[in-house]
Amino acid sequence: MHHIAYISRAVHPLTDEDLHELLTQCRRDNAQHQITGILFYSHGKIAQLFEGEPAVIEPLFARISRDGRHSHVQKLIDKPIVARSFSEWSMAFHPLEPVGFETLQGFLMPHHVPTPPASLSIADAMLIDLVRLAVFGGATPPQAPAPRADAEPT
Amino acid sequence: MRNHPEQTILRHMPAGVATLQGPELRYGFVNEAMETVLGGPAPAGTPIMEHPGFLASDLLEVMQQVYTSGRPFTAKAYCLALPGPGSPDRYYDLTLEPFRGASDAITGLLLFTVDVTAQEEARQQAHRLSVETRRLDTRLRVLTETVPQITFTLDAKGHYEYVSPQWYYFTGQPPTAAVDAIWPLLIHPDDRLRVLYQSEAARTAGTGWSYEYRLRRHDGQYRWLLSRALPEQLHTPGEPVYWHGALTEIHDQRELTEALRRGEAELRFLADSIPELIWTATAEGFIDYYNRHTSEYSGLNQKELGPTGWVNLLAPTEQAEAARQWVHSIATGEAFEGVFRMRRHDGQYRWHIIRARQLADGQGLRWFGACTDVDDQHRLREVLQTQYNELARTNYDLDTFVYTASHDLKQPLVNLRGLFEELSLVASFNDPQAATMLHMVEDALAQLELTIQDLAATVQDQRGLSAPTERLDLRSTADEILLGLRTQFEQTGATLEFDLEAAPTLHYSRANLRSILHNLLSNALKFAHPERPARIQVRSYLLEGQPVLAVQDNGLGMKTSQAQSPGFRPFARQHTHVPGAGVGMYLVQRILASYGGQLEVASTLGEGTTFTVHWAAAQPEVAPAA
Repeated sequence: MHHIAYISRAVHPLTDEDLHELLTQCRRDNAQHQITGILFYSHGKIAQLFEGEPAVIEPLFARISRDGRHSHVQKLIDKPIVARSFSEWSMAFHPLEPVGFETLQGFLMPHHVPTPPASLSIADAMLIDLVRLAVFGGATPPQAPAPRADAEPT
Repeated sequence: MRNHPEQTILRHMPAGVATLQGPELRYGFVNEAMETVLGGPAPAGTPIMEHPGFLASDLLEVMQQVYTSGRPFTAKAYCLALPGPGSPDRYYDLTLEPFRGASDAITGLLLFTVDVTAQEEARQQAHRLSVETRRLDTRLRVLTETVPQITFTLDAKGHYEYVSPQWYYFTGQPPTAAVDAIWPLLIHPDDRLRVLYQSEAARTAGTGWSYEYRLRRHDGQYRWLLSRALPEQLHTPGEPVYWHGALTEIHDQRELTEALRRGEAELRFLADSIPELIWTATAEGFIDYYNRHTSEYSGLNQKELGPTGWVNLLAPTEQAEAARQWVHSIATGEAFEGVFRMRRHDGQYRWHIIRARQLADGQGLRWFGACTDVDDQHRLREVLQTQYNELARTNYDLDTFVYTASHDLKQPLVNLRGLFEELSLVASFNDPQAATMLHMVEDALAQLELTIQDLAATVQDQRGLSAPTERLDLRSTADEILLGLRTQFEQTGATLEFDLEAAPTLHYSRANLRSILHNLLSNALKFAHPERPARIQVRSYLLEGQPVLAVQDNGLGMKTSQAQSPGFRPFARQHTHVPGAGVGMYLVQRILASYGGQLEVASTLGEGTTFTVHWAAAQPEVAPAA
């Protein structure tokens, strides 16, 4: 099991229709290949973290980086993980017309994005917080997971 | 004319034929095609003037001239406007020829018309297209020649079909230059082979190209250019394909990129030579560079540390707080600072101060951070703190012990004195020196008592050294002290004068002020001159804005080696015949020193002493006397 995180910039701002289509298409594809994760979008800024088997997500990332809808793709992490931190794949953005998106499967309003699950290391949780900050700005307050009560180091 | 077989042919010819006879130009033979032109059958014998059909009047005049002059007339694409629903103009080639009779005299005219409408329309269309093409061509030329780029067109073999004037301006070549031959020679020798190869490869493959190279400018300097070209998308098969392209000067951008790369390399070189953990991060908070020392310290390289992996180096209990603080800094732009334990490659955690600031460099906002190893200082401070705590506790224990000891000694001493009094009352001694010895024992006991009292007092006062300060009235505090000293005052007949109006109040600790006043006053009483009653003057005044207390007596006086801070050491006494333990003045000095003040002594042996107390290095503003 691996996870990959990247940030990029949309070449043209995505409309509500584009986002709707992207969401349904991605959910379909990702469910088929057992890829979970989350995608953030706001005003042309894109960030995504997805997890799955390396044999599946490596080619997926190669395809994503060649997609003409975005540029300046910057891979942030690509490393093995012990277990999944996300149970499904979802997308968080601010639609111009919220009506119609509320019931859409896999859609999240940015302020409803849950805090990073405790299964993520603090480094990865911080990465998600920074990525969310980069996409949405300072509006959504990031929350780090509770400190772990590990033994004191010598 | 008679109907001949020729007439049948003529009648059905697609060209219009008509004969006009005589000076009136009467219609003779008119075929079907001509009837169309005339708009209907022409009655034979009618002068054309009366039945012109669609022929215009100017043509009729021309006919007359042809008849009279005998010169034939041809009109090409003569326009006739035929009526009818939406019928456009029709064009005819007209020919008028004189018809000669037997004597070679003109007897009539032959009129021929050929419908050339289709050709004429095509010609007109072609003309319109030609005008449009010229217009587009002009526009293209203006655009390509005014844009600050060199544009060119070359064919599949690499022969330049067109170069814009900018090429000549840039290279300084004359208009007659052979572009094909000269251009490659102007390319920088280091780039030439590559450029020629790439151009040929693209032309062979039928694709466009994009590459950069240096071209020699008119002044001899080589400038970096970007060459981009695309093949024509549409071309008629069999015709040669052309590539159209443009050259853009990118010299300055390249220099800037180089400078940035050099700057970055210099930054990293500098950072790598510093034995501190140094790193930089993007504006979004992802670390993009760790210096060499970081890798050496942590044992992990840049890839392993990653954009946020540095958090893993911190002590587990500190990671969440550091992460929260970093995200806050990124969100607000505030500087980051904190003290954390960082794990070394061997597993040892060492204290580091981590500081980061956001600065704008050539490429935008960037975070610059450093982690300074303060482990030694931190541990040293911890050790010192522990030692200090221990010392403080020991001191406290000691004080408690002394106090307890002195307290515990009091009772036995009281008993002893009591017993001795009893003994001296009931016992009788034969020795004549007995009385003296009894006195001596009494004195010794009294001395012992005083010592024990002073010891207890010292310890008590020392505990009170860190007492809180308040605004105290000197007179009322002195009065409190005097209550305790009243007996002594009465017994010795001593007098006391106060002059406190200049500075009646003081910001001090109540207990310490009482201690100091008590010691100064009781000293003055103790060291009174035996031949005269003690006269003590207490003055409080301002010296350079600071309050000062002077206690002057007319007692024994003392030898002073230094006027200031005579350095009273505990138990070092000048007048040993006067009972006392010798801790009093030492205590006063200690108290004063702890507030930054000092004690001054002026004395004349046999006449008196003046103690001047400078309360503190700086006192808060004391309101003047009302």
